[in-house]
Amino acid sequence: MDKHASDDASHWAELQRLFHRCDGLDDTAIEALLANEVADLGLRERVRSLLRSARCVTSDPAFTTPDTSAGEAAGFSPVSIGPYRLLEKLGSGGVGTVYLVERILAETKVRAALKVLAPHAVDASFVERFHRERRLLASLDHPNITRLFDAGTTEDGQPYIVMEYVDGLPIDRYCDEGQLDIESRVRLFLTVCDAVSAAHRGLIVHLDLKPSNVLVAKSGIVKLLDFGTSKWTQANGESTATLVATPAFASPEQLLNRPVSTASDVYALGATLYKILCGRAPFGNISGVVRMEKALRGLEPESLARAAADARPRADRAARRAHQELRGDLSTILETCLRSNPRERYSSAEALRDDLERYLSHQPIKARPQTTGYRMRKFIDRHRVALVVAVLVVAVSGASLADAWVGQARALREADRAVRMQNFMHRLFRMANPDYTAKPVATVAQFLRAGVRNLPAYIQDPADLRAAMLGLAESMYESGDTDDARAALRQVLALSHGSAAIGSRVEAEIYLAVIDFDRNEVPAGRALSAEAFRLAHAYPVSSRVRILTDVYYAFNEDNNGYIKPGNLALLRKSAHAAIADHLPRNDQDLALLDYAADADMQGHVATATRIFSLLRQRYRDDPLALCDRANVNGWLAWIDNQSGRISESLPLFREAYDGYVQCQGPASAEALEEVPYWGDALIRAGRPAEAVKLLEGALPTWRRALGDRSDQVEILYYLSRAYSAVGRYRDAQPLAEEFLKSLRNRLAPGSRMFGLGQMALAQALVGEKCYAAARPHAVLAVRILAKSAASAYGLHVEREAQAILRGAATTAGLSSGCSS
Amino acid sequence: MSSDGDVTLLLRRWSDGDAAVLDPLFALVYPRLRQIAGALFRGESPATLLQPTGVVNELFLKLAEQRRLQFTDREHFFSLGSLLMRRIIVDAARAERRDKRDGGIRIPLDPETAGTTVGPSADVLDIDRALEELELIDARKTRMVELRLFLGATAEETADLLKMSKATVDRDLRFARAWLIERLAGGAPAG
Repeated sequence: MDKHASDDASHWAELQRLFHRCDGLDDTAIEALLANEVADLGLRERVRSLLRSARCVTSDPAFTTPDTSAGEAAGFSPVSIGPYRLLEKLGSGGVGTVYLVERILAETKVRAALKVLAPHAVDASFVERFHRERRLLASLDHPNITRLFDAGTTEDGQPYIVMEYVDGLPIDRYCDEGQLDIESRVRLFLTVCDAVSAAHRGLIVHLDLKPSNVLVAKSGIVKLLDFGTSKWTQANGESTATLVATPAFASPEQLLNRPVSTASDVYALGATLYKILCGRAPFGNISGVVRMEKALRGLEPESLARAAADARPRADRAARRAHQELRGDLSTILETCLRSNPRERYSSAEALRDDLERYLSHQPIKARPQTTGYRMRKFIDRHRVALVVAVLVVAVSGASLADAWVGQARALREADRAVRMQNFMHRLFRMANPDYTAKPVATVAQFLRAGVRNLPAYIQDPADLRAAMLGLAESMYESGDTDDARAALRQVLALSHGSAAIGSRVEAEIYLAVIDFDRNEVPAGRALSAEAFRLAHAYPVSSRVRILTDVYYAFNEDNNGYIKPGNLALLRKSAHAAIADHLPRNDQDLALLDYAADADMQGHVATATRIFSLLRQRYRDDPLALCDRANVNGWLAWIDNQSGRISESLPLFREAYDGYVQCQGPASAEALEEVPYWGDALIRAGRPAEAVKLLEGALPTWRRALGDRSDQVEILYYLSRAYSAVGRYRDAQPLAEEFLKSLRNRLAPGSRMFGLGQMALAQALVGEKCYAAARPHAVLAVRILAKSAASAYGLHVEREAQAILRGAATTAGLSSGCSS
Repeated sequence: MSSDGDVTLLLRRWSDGDAAVLDPLFALVYPRLRQIAGALFRGESPATLLQPTGVVNELFLKLAEQRRLQFTDREHFFSLGSLLMRRIIVDAARAERRDKRDGGIRIPLDPETAGTTVGPSADVLDIDRALEELELIDARKTRMVELRLFLGATAEETADLLKMSKATVDRDLRFARAWLIERLAGGAPAG
């Protein structure tokens, strides 16, 4: 050690302290500080000297690096290599130096890029192998891959390759300089995937994909450089692929000198896209060795979202949006590319491309997401209406969850339960998703059944389990699977022991009763309904359960013909209580709906109209209430129709029908149910031709969708009447007959529907002048319909029947030749 | 011949602070590494050795294989790596000893500029000598410089490995760099 060094050692700490204090000050301030604090003149000079050195950049010739890049080591720049004239040095890097060159071919100057490979990058057999594999390379004729023209050795023995010259920017710089948004960047990247796929199909891997190897020309066309060259630049013996690949973008297997494959390119594609999207490579500013260490330890880069937050701190709106986008699917896609284990990555560049495309079209991506809530959210985005049924499950077991899933933030406060529910729903949705299951569940019914089966494994709390099960049963009922619903409800009953479970027991009984009534098992239904009513009033249950029990009980009694004024009073009271107690919106609406319908049933038309109109108001602007709105419109139309306000009813019918078509589809029972009533109103409004058009149009759909197993056969009756009204009696007759036949197995011969059928048939026969045949039908019609002529509408129908009977009677003698 | 067991044992002793094992350790590990370096070297610019895709990675891989992927003591592991790298480069420079007027064998003083021709650089043998002097005064800063210059670690990584703040590493390196440049320039203080 020389004198100065040993001097430094004696006041090393002081020297450093002074250096740092003076560093950054101007000379005057430095001198003042030194004069003030340092008595030792030698030390002062040491500080000054070190500060001078700290400022040293490259001015000192001792620190200027001579250019020693390949091909120039001998101290001169060549003007030509082989037949190529060098025009410009484009750059130099780890594997060599690239020049822009031109060659005169058939009097045309052809420009190309010529790369002189550094000796360490290739071995002696390079040129030979190039020519051997040239045919393979020629097959790689892709518009987005630069073509390789030639290879050779320089006069001093350095190998070079000649390829298509691209005047463009590396893809990451192109995106940044053009300020492309995230979507455009991803879209541009699809082309890169395409090119890599094409090469992979030709069994050529790249092994050094990175932004600087993906150029975007001024014309906007993407060009991949150096395809197929890395394979030859893996030199023999001692050196390996690690030499060639760029650590920041290379796959771990390359860095660790393990077998490489197309999956290695998938990794590099992911790393490149990562750089394009968030401005830095996956591991950020990382040295080769630390990157190597991470590869050895199987460490994966931090999530894109966090990286993006670090790398793009701009606070503008665009950046915030980009950040949000990077948090979701894109992050999952990149993580999938960047898995340490090649088998966990996308199976091909094509699979990666497909998922990016799915991302762009807002479809669920195939990459397995890290969090369970993911697929649910995406699913709901796209199938909001169809999913209402499924979300009902959640709505019952905790409204906060449903909200979380539809993206409203009240979210996961009941974390544990929420997570279990989420796992459960996730599992369910996976069963429904063909991406996960070879045999996905195809129908809502299967879906819900799977739910009932799996529920107990996910929900341990018995109350939660019963609630969720009830929700599923309700959904089953709503989607028409009453058998399934019944089984699920019985399961709930079996789970409802003790007074704590009275609430769920009551609910289950009510739903079971509703199913019984639907199936015309009236006594069983009434018994269950009465039992529920008794329990709800004998035990402390929630106000919600009690109010709903009252609503169902009263309405079902009246609806099944056991009409009592007390029931209407109970329904009115329940509707008020539902609103006063702030029951969930759906429950309030149900109480109002049943109150209004019951008022109509009991002849309080004004009350019914008022409440239905209120409901119409409540449903307005609610995108999830399409069906409910259609239902209310149907009721209002029906009331208008019944009260003789035919022209007012017509637009309401149209609204009801259109609403059902929108929410349930044209083949739904609900939409088809509106058609005959609407048709009836058209006939009565004196527009039978329109009625024929409407009913005729709906008939094939009805036959396909419901047909003979339906109890909604009114369409046959009304179309028959409409045909008769326009004089098409021959068409009317078979429909009336079909109508009667379909009633025969189900209804007592004296019921009103029968009377209507007889009337329609008589009318058609009269029209066909088959008076004798018409007469008995007309007689029967009048007899039956006279009984139900209490309402204005009933009276109107009865009068019609009387008129037809008169027609049949007066001309009976003239009809002996009629074929019917 | 060297066995992995010997290497592991020596590495452990070195980690425990036994500087005396360094030479036998080199004797065991070095020939193979030098062979790799030599195969890549072939009279090329020695700066190539420090390029991120070069010998450093090979060396690191070999070391990791020797240590059976134990990364429990990263500081020692990386320090050893940089020491080895320094020795490989210096040996290569001695073997290829050229006249200093040819520029000698230079390496960049700022690792970020490795593989390029911008930024200050210096003769490897001079750097080695200056580092030997620094080692006697401040071994810690020597490790820091080695990690940066010979292993190519970034300032953040160096801070992380040495369990120091990035700001401290930046300051220390700035001082060390000034000190080294002064030594390399043969800069004797005027007074």
